Amino acid sequence: MATTKLGFIVQRPPYKSENPKLALTHAIASQSVEVYLKEGDLVTADIAFIGDGVLNCIKNQKAMDIYKLTSTETHIKMALLLDLNILVCKEDLARFGLTENDIVIDAEEFGAEMKTKVVPFSEITKMMEEVNHLLFF
Amino acid sequence: MGKLTIGCFSSLVGSMTLDFAVKLCAAAIDKGHKVDFWVSGNGTMLSIKDQRAFKDYSALEKPLKELMAKGLNVTACEACAEARGYHKDNTMEGFKRHSMDWYLASAFDADRVLHIGGE
Amino acid sequence: MRLAVFVSDYKITVDTLDRLKAEKLGIILVGNGVYHTTIKENGNPSPLLKKSANFYVLSEDLETRGISSSNISGNIKVITYSELVDLIFNDYEKLAWL
Repeated sequence: MATTKLGFIVQRPPYKSENPKLALTHAIASQSVEVYLKEGDLVTADIAFIGDGVLNCIKNQKAMDIYKLTSTETHIKMALLLDLNILVCKEDLARFGLTENDIVIDAEEFGAEMKTKVVPFSEITKMMEEVNHLLFF
Repeated sequence: MGKLTIGCFSSLVGSMTLDFAVKLCAAAIDKGHKVDFWVSGNGTMLSIKDQRAFKDYSALEKPLKELMAKGLNVTACEACAEARGYHKDNTMEGFKRHSMDWYLASAFDADRVLHIGGE
Repeated sequence: MRLAVFVSDYKITVDTLDRLKAEKLGIILVGNGVYHTTIKENGNPSPLLKKSANFYVLSEDLETRGISSSNISGNIKVITYSELVDLIFNDYEKLAWL
């Protein structure tokens, strides 16, 4: 039985680039990876939004209403529903004048128990040190 | 010898990032390492067969086939490919298509993962 | 952690590199990142080169862009793809492409 930890670091804003969405969809895929692994083996995915990437977390996105596209907000909520660890850089939120009230913190309407964690960058550094591999988006 | 997993999300034509990734695959295989190569997003353009090799555009079908013959394991994100109209019947022979969990499974026992994001 | 960061652009649009902390940091210049080695914008060398890191540049990408490896300063190691593979496996445990 072994666990490989992956750290997904999202550093770009949504929509103009496909990168942030692909970070979330690939991280979510950690929930179905067992079909390829031996019983008991696991891949975990932690997601951190840093720099301009914190803009992905702004709530009340209307991409589905306007462009018929799943919003980044919905992807974040799906990740919370699947109990992925989501970190948002506190300093970067502050730089944009954003607070916890402005971003996706929970997905209670989906039945998710996990919540987004707003943390100092030092906590994100710690996560980066703890994982086996890093994937920057 | 180790295992290198490379993920590349950039287009075939435009940035030369896939050219870099394929050359790195070749160098690693030549040194006896195992290499898994995952393409997703615009990177799935790499999987299309019979691309005409103009000199003005990156064309990687030939080196890729040579690397597959040497053991390169190359897989495209099926959803990303289908979203772009790249179907199974026009996918290069030997180029696999799977869902995104394939990439994570490859990372599971990789010694190194180089993830190259897209545009 | 021993972290190798690949820089493939001359104009870097994210500030992540400034914030990364590593016991051993390698900066590998590939693609248009190789311009950091020689271009002196307004007479100044790239600020990237002031970082405390081990610097490497891919010879094939230098030559592609018409830059001779003889013009590269001594603190930047010119490497081939083959040497890059050795760096990846032997010198750094985590990789980041920014």
